[in-house]
Amino acid sequence: MIISKKCKQHIDSCRFCWMCHHICPIGNATGHERSTARARALGISLVNRGAIELKEIMDNIYECCTCGACNHDCTTGWDPVMFTKEVRLQAALENELPDYINKLVDNCLNCGNAYAKSDISKNLSEKIKNHSNKTDTLLLLGVDARFILPDQAQKAIKVLENAGVLFTVLEDEKPTGWQLDFLIGTTEETKQQMSECAKTLDEFKTIVVYDPNDSKTIKQTFGEYGVKTKAKVVTYTTFLAYLVDNGKLKSKNKDKTVVFQDPYQLSRDLEETDESRKVISSFATLHEMLLNKGETVWAGNILMSQYLPEVIKEVSKRRLYNVKSIGERTVVTASVSEYFALKQVKQNEIEILSIEDLILGKEAD
Amino acid sequence: MNYQMNEFLFAMILTELEDAVGKENCSTRAIDKVTHSVDYYWLSRMWADRGRRLPEADFIVCPENATEVSKVVKIANYYKLPVTTWGAGGGTQGGAIPVCGGIIVDTKRMNKIYEVNTQGMYIECGTGAIYKHIEWAANEVGMATMHYPSSLTCSTVGGFLAHRGIGVCSTKYGKIDDMVLQMEVVLPNGVIINTSSAPKHAAGPDLNQIFIGSEGTLGIITKAQIRIFDQPEERRFRGFLFQDLTSAFKASRELLQKFKPSVMRLYDEAETASLIKKIVGVERKGAFMNIAYEGVKEMVEVEEKILLNTFKKYGAEDLGSKYGEKWWKEKITFFYPGHMMDIPQMFGTMDTIAPYDKIEEIYWAMKEAIETNFPQAKFIAHFSHWYEWGAMVYDRFIIDGKDVPKDPVEALRLHQEVWTCGVRAALAHGGVVNDHHGVGIKLGRLMKEQYGPAMQVFEGLKKTLDPNGIMNPFKLGL
Repeated sequence: MIISKKCKQHIDSCRFCWMCHHICPIGNATGHERSTARARALGISLVNRGAIELKEIMDNIYECCTCGACNHDCTTGWDPVMFTKEVRLQAALENELPDYINKLVDNCLNCGNAYAKSDISKNLSEKIKNHSNKTDTLLLLGVDARFILPDQAQKAIKVLENAGVLFTVLEDEKPTGWQLDFLIGTTEETKQQMSECAKTLDEFKTIVVYDPNDSKTIKQTFGEYGVKTKAKVVTYTTFLAYLVDNGKLKSKNKDKTVVFQDPYQLSRDLEETDESRKVISSFATLHEMLLNKGETVWAGNILMSQYLPEVIKEVSKRRLYNVKSIGERTVVTASVSEYFALKQVKQNEIEILSIEDLILGKEAD
Repeated sequence: MNYQMNEFLFAMILTELEDAVGKENCSTRAIDKVTHSVDYYWLSRMWADRGRRLPEADFIVCPENATEVSKVVKIANYYKLPVTTWGAGGGTQGGAIPVCGGIIVDTKRMNKIYEVNTQGMYIECGTGAIYKHIEWAANEVGMATMHYPSSLTCSTVGGFLAHRGIGVCSTKYGKIDDMVLQMEVVLPNGVIINTSSAPKHAAGPDLNQIFIGSEGTLGIITKAQIRIFDQPEERRFRGFLFQDLTSAFKASRELLQKFKPSVMRLYDEAETASLIKKIVGVERKGAFMNIAYEGVKEMVEVEEKILLNTFKKYGAEDLGSKYGEKWWKEKITFFYPGHMMDIPQMFGTMDTIAPYDKIEEIYWAMKEAIETNFPQAKFIAHFSHWYEWGAMVYDRFIIDGKDVPKDPVEALRLHQEVWTCGVRAALAHGGVVNDHHGVGIKLGRLMKEQYGPAMQVFEGLKKTLDPNGIMNPFKLGL
């Protein structure tokens, strides 16, 4: 396996370092030693030294959710996400991907999403048609909301409608490429998907990005791939905060006390933590969990649920335990993917709301 | 009964283990085997660095509770398979390496926090919980565990108990063996027992202290009640510079007859000039010492006066609070790659402990033994855990990568020789094999040298509790 000098340096530093053992959401959920940054680094270093074969560690390489908790925790700046993604790329180039990953990659290439979905729900489709006229502002829903949680997509649209925003939603929305980037990294195919998306974004002045995966990709990863967009890109939560500031989203009663699940893409990658809090605090009383903002713990997603469903349920269950342990019963998410994952846990004690649910109140039902 | 594992029997045993812990928690995958074959022990790291595979377990199981552990050890006993307990793999002594193959029992699924009891001042948890997680649980109710070793984030409760770990605030709050109330233990025959409901009593010998430090050779600790404390109203730091170690020892011994600081760390000149200079920023010749004192504010005020007066008598230069605060902030930074020694260097920490009348002598004896016999080695030390009667020395040897043999077996031989030399020097002057990292496979051979005929007590326990000798063989000298 060919790995870069930079990657090797990080692997050799991490393979015998245990310091981020406590922070991996997957490792904490499974209790399996292999689900840690140091185990992954050790495995790769042994492949690199010819002691084991690449195919023997590939499942493990795909057990990382790339949330960056380990990077964030590392005092000296070693980057397990970087080397994990590089190995995924190399495995793709060397035809060593596990079959279940190949299938997801093929789906992304053929259908634009890992779920092999081509049709969106009738209700969402009608809602989108109401916003098919060209305006300056595009609401980008993303593949998770469009194909897996269309109800949440409709609520996201409704919140903006209630605030009197004029905006467009595309019937044929192009994927940002975040799924391909997660699965195989910096391939030509990924770059092509990103470039095609960027072209459609350039037709608008402002892009409001609903899914934090897309926000991170457009605002950060596009640049790493050399893909540019002229449009102004804002996260959905930043846009909501702007609407609150301008009195377009009005506070209702604040009877409910809630905790907020920071999506790592916003809080760690884009360093956006105050905007969601501003919105939530307008509609509820916010009680912070111990691990919040940059220290947030990933609560699961839809993509990894395709191949590790039971593990992702454990991840979500542990995050709900954090809510319970501070005596709270309602958690608000700003990520459609985490909303999905948390809802998969069968329990009645904790109420799970999206930020749109909180804003819309009874209208959300 | 001796037998050779074969494909058929292997498959049979696998199904039994899967039945005990669930298929998803029983593995024979290569990634799990290699992951559980390398811990923080230098020899295991060196071996892997040279592209070699260490002895690996045949099966890796992750039980959820004592009942599942019990099932696993019963299977192991029946088939006479070695059982090695694995916490998080952060041990430095090779204690978790499955040198004879068999079964690895990874405890991390036993990570449940059962109760945060603010009345009884303890957290009851599975021993697979990473210690930082129970610290978080304590913090959520405004309390703290006060157990802050450098491995806080990478070791389990069980790992600390099995190897008698210690944290930086030990002088005030104690070692791990002072921090546990009751424990649940699975004996090698699969019987689940509980130790006494309180750690201080006159109902015979202390069962806790039989299993604490036993490194998985006498059973597997599956649950523990760990003490928690109120957060101190005030925590203050003071850095000092002593001209020599002798005056620092005299000052510290006198101080400890008056009150107990939380942190006490004295660095020898070599470590002051290297790590302390690099991370804390002290650029002075001498022996740096950091003291933290904490608790109720009025008490802290009084303790500060006693500290300053006592240390002044012994010529300590008061460096104020900034270095101490910096040290507290960076106390774990020392151990990250880039700051810590790493391959290709050869290194080790030969910590030992003794009363005040011997500890300084031990330091000089170990330093001389290492520097004389291994001129390629650098020797640095600090003294970081203190009692009214004595202190421990955390002495380290470091050999530059260019002086480490390329051949792994030759490197192993050199490593063994340095360790034997250093620990024998400690034993000869009244020290012990180890202070707070444990024994493992690294130092097992030296246990009989320390204990002499007293070793038969451990051997008797082992023979009675584990007649088939399946529990973590060749560790602890048993």
